[in-house]
Amino acid sequence: MAKQYALDDASVVVVVGSGAGGGTLANELAQKGIDVVCLEAGKRLTLADVVNDPALMMEKLGWNDPRKGTPVYTCKTVGGTTMRWSGITPRFQAHEFKALSTYGQMDGASLIDWPITLEELEPYYSRAEYKMGVSGTHGMPPSAETNNYKLLRVGAKNMGYKEFTSARTAINPVARDGRPACRQIGFCHSGCAIGAKWSTLYTEVPKAESTGHFELRTEAMVVKINHTDDGRVSSVMYYDSEGALHEQKARAVCVAGNVVETTRLLHNSSSNLFPDGLANSSGHLGRNYTRHLMFSTFAIMPGEVNFHRGTRQSGLLFDEQYHKPERGFAGGYLIETVATDPVSVAAFVGGWGESAAEYMENYTRLGATWVTGEDPPQSSNRIAFDDKERDQYGLPVPVLTYDFHANSLAMFEHGKKQCESLLESVGGRRAVSTLGVGGGCHNMGVARMSVKPDDGVTNKWGQAHDIKNLFVSDGSLFSTSAAGNPTLTIVALAIRQAEHVADRMARHEL
Amino acid sequence: MTVSGLASVKFIIWSMVIRSLYAEFYMTSNKTTRRRFIVATVSAGLGLSLIRISSAWAQATSGQSPQLASTLGRMARLLYPHASVPDSVYAGVVDGIMTAAAEDPQMSATLDLAASQLDQARGTDFFQLDEASQLAVMTKLQQQPFFEAIRFQVLARLYSNPEVWKVINYPGPSVQLGGYVDRGFNDIDWLPEGA
Repeated sequence: MAKQYALDDASVVVVVGSGAGGGTLANELAQKGIDVVCLEAGKRLTLADVVNDPALMMEKLGWNDPRKGTPVYTCKTVGGTTMRWSGITPRFQAHEFKALSTYGQMDGASLIDWPITLEELEPYYSRAEYKMGVSGTHGMPPSAETNNYKLLRVGAKNMGYKEFTSARTAINPVARDGRPACRQIGFCHSGCAIGAKWSTLYTEVPKAESTGHFELRTEAMVVKINHTDDGRVSSVMYYDSEGALHEQKARAVCVAGNVVETTRLLHNSSSNLFPDGLANSSGHLGRNYTRHLMFSTFAIMPGEVNFHRGTRQSGLLFDEQYHKPERGFAGGYLIETVATDPVSVAAFVGGWGESAAEYMENYTRLGATWVTGEDPPQSSNRIAFDDKERDQYGLPVPVLTYDFHANSLAMFEHGKKQCESLLESVGGRRAVSTLGVGGGCHNMGVARMSVKPDDGVTNKWGQAHDIKNLFVSDGSLFSTSAAGNPTLTIVALAIRQAEHVADRMARHEL
Repeated sequence: MTVSGLASVKFIIWSMVIRSLYAEFYMTSNKTTRRRFIVATVSAGLGLSLIRISSAWAQATSGQSPQLASTLGRMARLLYPHASVPDSVYAGVVDGIMTAAAEDPQMSATLDLAASQLDQARGTDFFQLDEASQLAVMTKLQQQPFFEAIRFQVLARLYSNPEVWKVINYPGPSVQLGGYVDRGFNDIDWLPEGA
């Protein structure tokens, strides 16, 4: 059963965060018999707390503390963004792990190659898919075909596309692993009220607890990582729900707070030895922040689509994901289905007056696609801090700066044309694409893995170049963004990292 | 938590989101392209962060400026004119905006600016103009940051209102009905054969 560890127990591995990265890593370590204390800033909800209402769930799940600059959407709750995600789980492609080698130097971009290859990650992708119950893998059937998916498929065929599927979604198409089959409730980003969608809240966390090697402390906001004089991390400082400050000793610390909090924690742990923040001798901490080219396309179709019925994202189209420089840009993008609540439709479609009202009165006839595409890293896209403005923890307020690279804007022009043509080929009218939609849901790159310590913050295991018992375990690790939705890769990297940590511990190197 | 307690939490969250929206508008008001991008980014979050306003028009204007409420109420309807949505719903939207503005000097200033720009455009109170003139005034002012700020306020509150959902045929949350697995998630019937 769930264990309790003493604050001065220096044998534990501390994992900060319980989402896709932290929750998975913690469970994988606990399954190997390694003692883990997981510190999660948010509360532990139950399925009964999940309401099929994006508005209310924003309050319950969202990280709603002060932020400045470009908006970002992360979660402060057990399960992190696995509560809000839509479950789309494509693997990255081989060339995407070699962005610099494949695309070459690009003006204004800070491209590097990943220190690992697809071949090295493939076994972990497979384990991640099995763990998460990804539809269409490991004997699981594809996901059921929703109205919006059927529309996508017809449009894809009209466009001459060949590679589309309703599979590769981490939402149970059939009952599995103690969780029920999807009931097509809709708006999965409210959280799944029946637990059919994979979230660490009701998979990794309880499984870790059942090992007897894991303690979850909720409403535990980690504000600082301490280190010894010889530069090894030794403990973390955190506030509990009453605002009392505690120090938990640690054998190793793994940080998985999503990009903003991961950067802030390392930044806030600066010291005489590490004046620019922990693990930041390269100066790359908080920089190279990528969040994918993302946009939605809507059109009014000739008949009812009712995209609010069923999974929010129920299909993928791969044909544009490849690197085909003749299109005028490097890298590629995925086209996916999407369903959007009325407010978001009004915001995305834009405009006002009779034409806007007419669009909204066709809500049930809307067809929609979503694009997620590779976004080159730029050093100037970053998470910094306003030291003059402090939040309730006394921490400096994060300041986000993010602008699209010219390559992403060229990709947008191409994708917009393709998605609008796709919907129009099935009779859609008034097709409209809006750049920027959804930005800040896929967050990557601020503590990127690199071969050379000068190029990034962490090595091929997610271990800080500067500090051998400090790890980063979330999307911050991504060397480049690739095109696809990031969660599967975060989970695969966490499984792989757990093996590495266990191996080093067995060899008494941690 | 009590109903009023919940409403209060919602108000706090809502105010925060709206404030950050405002900050974006003012920070970038001189850079149109960039603003468009940020607006879209902000709006993506708005869809997740709504409260539902249902106060009646009478309550809406009590103790607050009836002139301002009338101007904004007219603007709200012309922004998103749904014939079958009653004035009381648009009034509720304005109530929500004005209530939030009471706690937020920047928003309050935006509303005052909007009212003065709208009312002064033709030398006659906006509310008194005929519809064609009102639309002409709004078209003239639509590039101004205050206009977009108010448009987002209106759309966020209007399209999260269950009365408006009825008009656009969105039935609301489905979990209490068992989802759509047996209720038409795959019933599309107008696609070409073999789809």
